Amino acid sequence: MTDDQPRVLRLFARFVPGDLREPIAGDLHEEYVRMRPRRGVVRATIWLWWNVARLAITFRWERATHGRSLPPIADELRGFGSMWDGLRQDVVFGARMLRRQPAFTLVALIALMLGIGANTAIFSIVDGVLWRPLPYPESSKVISLGEQRPRENRLHGPVAPADFYDWRRDNSTFSAIAAVEPAAVNISGGAEPERLRGIFVTAGFLDVVGIRPALGRDFTRDEEIEGRHQVVILSDGFWRRRFGADPSIVGSKITLNEHPYDVVGVMPASFWWSTTPAVVLAYMTNAGDGSRAQHSMEVVGRLKPGVSFEQARADLDTIGKRLSEQYPQNNAAHFPHLSTLHASMVGDVKPALLVLLGAVGLVLLIACANVAMLLLARATSREREIAVRLAMGAGRNRLVRQLLTESVLLALIGGVAGVLAAVWSLTAFRALLPPGLLVLPGIAQVGLDTRVLIVALGVSIATGLVFGIIPAFAASGQRLASTLQEEGRSGSGGARSTRTRAVLVVAELALSLVLLVGAGLLLVSFRRVLDVSPGFESQDVVVASVVRSDPAPEALRFYETLLERVRKLPNVEAAALGTPLPFVDVGGRTGFRIEGRTTQSLVPVRARPRLVSADYFSTLRIPLVRGRVFTDRDAEGPPHVVIINSAAARRYWPDDDPLGRRIDVSFAAQPRWMEIVGIIGDVKHLGLELDTDPEAYMPLRQPPFGGMTQRLNVVMRTRAPVSTIAPTVRSAVNQIDRNQPVGTVSAMEDLIAASVAPRRLNVWLVIVFAVIALVLTAAGLYGVMSYLVAQRTREIGVRMALGATRSSVLQLVLRQAGGMAVVGITIGLVGALALTRFLATLLFGITTRDPFVYVSVTVLLGVVALLAAAIPSSRATRVDPMAALRT
Amino acid sequence: MAMTDVSILGEFEQVVLLAILRLGDDAYAVTIRDEILQCTGRDVSRGSIYITLDRLETKGYLKSRLADSTPERGGRAKRYYELRPRALEALKEGRRALVALWRGLESVLT
Repeated sequence: MTDDQPRVLRLFARFVPGDLREPIAGDLHEEYVRMRPRRGVVRATIWLWWNVARLAITFRWERATHGRSLPPIADELRGFGSMWDGLRQDVVFGARMLRRQPAFTLVALIALMLGIGANTAIFSIVDGVLWRPLPYPESSKVISLGEQRPRENRLHGPVAPADFYDWRRDNSTFSAIAAVEPAAVNISGGAEPERLRGIFVTAGFLDVVGIRPALGRDFTRDEEIEGRHQVVILSDGFWRRRFGADPSIVGSKITLNEHPYDVVGVMPASFWWSTTPAVVLAYMTNAGDGSRAQHSMEVVGRLKPGVSFEQARADLDTIGKRLSEQYPQNNAAHFPHLSTLHASMVGDVKPALLVLLGAVGLVLLIACANVAMLLLARATSREREIAVRLAMGAGRNRLVRQLLTESVLLALIGGVAGVLAAVWSLTAFRALLPPGLLVLPGIAQVGLDTRVLIVALGVSIATGLVFGIIPAFAASGQRLASTLQEEGRSGSGGARSTRTRAVLVVAELALSLVLLVGAGLLLVSFRRVLDVSPGFESQDVVVASVVRSDPAPEALRFYETLLERVRKLPNVEAAALGTPLPFVDVGGRTGFRIEGRTTQSLVPVRARPRLVSADYFSTLRIPLVRGRVFTDRDAEGPPHVVIINSAAARRYWPDDDPLGRRIDVSFAAQPRWMEIVGIIGDVKHLGLELDTDPEAYMPLRQPPFGGMTQRLNVVMRTRAPVSTIAPTVRSAVNQIDRNQPVGTVSAMEDLIAASVAPRRLNVWLVIVFAVIALVLTAAGLYGVMSYLVAQRTREIGVRMALGATRSSVLQLVLRQAGGMAVVGITIGLVGALALTRFLATLLFGITTRDPFVYVSVTVLLGVVALLAAAIPSSRATRVDPMAALRT
Repeated sequence: MAMTDVSILGEFEQVVLLAILRLGDDAYAVTIRDEILQCTGRDVSRGSIYITLDRLETKGYLKSRLADSTPERGGRAKRYYELRPRALEALKEGRRALVALWRGLESVLT
């Protein structure tokens, strides 16, 4: 660029009326040259660009609003203005064409609505959950800290309290680190007693998420100490609901778990932590005596300003290494593992969501192919119109532009319909959303916002261009003379157009097959998951969870009284107590030591502790493998006994008999040995598709840890429905303690169904998309076959006049359809083999190359293709030779 | 007759016409804008200057001529403006109307 001629000034000319262009560009240049020595080249150049842009906009605006006051831009400029006028003309003409062919328009719009609607809806979900930041300031700095145990194949497990203290004390890369645990507490006093969901958090948690209480203050480090820990921060919603938004609540006391708690603050309404907990309680940790064996804490931290994720990881690795040298017994086999909080929250659903996005993408491509075929058919019927335009001197570019404008217009109308369909389907989606998925970030806010609408608009325009470009070029590239010569004869299209159609149908068949194979694999996986036995008889089992805050002896007395009463309830065949219960509570793991084994073993010895009453196994009908179950004689005090599951027996006693061996979970100087008296079958605990962890069942009267008696579940075997059993259980609880609320009462079958609900939702969505794809493909094939038959009417007439039978004509036409189907299905099979590996993590009990699925899907698609082709083909056999030859 | 022929000028149109009048032979967009800034302290946008000049010319208040190019303008011509008699009439009429309205208000508004 020479000094004399900044390039921008030449560009400028495109936007300014001809006779003003010279002097204005000259003025700008003059000022630019004057400014350069004073302000420097950079600032002068910025000034010039800025003013050129402003002036260009001013003149465009001026022209648009007072068109007459400026001389028209010379057409040879082909500037923005003439394009705009042309566009307006194209749009008006296009709209007229669409109105004139309502059937075509309607069919195309339905295909577009399905394609764009599905994409808009799924995009808004994927965007809301995966691509939006968490609702915290600088949320990318919020890190989830877990424990990695390579030998147990666990990447990001919960953290032992003592490890948490060491991380918090010794790290240099986090501005705050805090632990969180879910809490369930009872509030009494005042209105009805109520069970609340909340979280226990250590001091500093609010610094990690970067949110201050709207009223009052945060917790202090002191309040982690027992005795001072009875402080609570209320959620905004709970504060409004229970206390009528009374600000004087801060500083007063409320009764939680029968104890007075000081309300020190109220959170802002925006506060979110995997749904909105009603109360935030201080985590009473008794700092110092934390265990390294029991892993229960979720730990989060906020990176210091300027510290990178890598630096934080290196920092924690150093601490982890030191701890594993210092405490080899507990820490030798695990290390800190960091991920962003967002990734750790959405990691599980990410593959499923991306698969859904892929599925709707395929649906949209199929819809595009369909509309492209419709446009091709229409272009054929408009051949003469286009030929006349060409003959009158219309440029080919001008024609392509006209045709593309029509298809984009069509796509935009389809896009509007699709967005409306998305609004409706998102409402349905929110209603169908399993509660288990409500903890996902952003899921509650999923809906249409500007961002989603912009994407929908972009997708619509792109769609219009994609499906319009082939027909537009095909139509405008026709040979003039031949078309005009075919006086009045119905359109023929020619070999090239036929080939284009065949390619589009083959593409649709291939894309459908990929989608159908994916849906088939997911459906079979889902069946396989449902076929998994939970390890107990889940039918006719009802669970009621009751949280009790008093210490072990009193709590046990309450629970045992309750159990007595529940047993006597009508319709209850058997009842028992247990915690944590399958499909109800998560529960943690604990390390343990085995009597007589060297403690230097690096293989971590860990099990999930369970506290159960004597008839727990018989009530749930969990099979006893060997030894005995608990009896009422397994009461307080020695001898302590324990029952392990088969998984524990297999893992820790692979070569010998565990019966009679003793284990200890206390790790105290004086071990509290428990004798293994029985081995029971494996029970699925958190999901049918998960492997069962080693478990250790302990009798109710011998709780190994203090807190375990505070949350017990009553399990009943009853033929009565939940709706009749629940009130009787509640009144039984009320008769013992008026202030004691009862949590949910649910049928075990429902709980198991809820555990597979996300998979069920995912499978159904993919199946819905696959069915849409199948219908669109069938419609496409039907359309193409109808076209081909119409095109060959004369030929068929000749054949029949020469003696061809109906069945030979049928064969002739079906062979053509069959050829396309075979090619499409073959390409689809190759595509499916390549693409279904992205499904691998979602499959269960089936490989991505399961022959059953591939064969049945191929047969299904083949049959549908045959049916779609059969109707037009049978029409071919009814061709009247005389009529065909006369036309 | 004269009253209906001279349509009322917008305030900014008057400003531009007065600036051109003050500049005499040297009135083109850059100097007009500078003159307005000097006299009134208003930093008006270039776009509105060009649009107003063009509009005034279309309405017959101004005539313009292209002058020779100079190197500092990158070889581009300069468009000088001068008032047509009609513009002078309109300015006088505007002034007369304003002065009439102002009369007797000095004590209130100074």
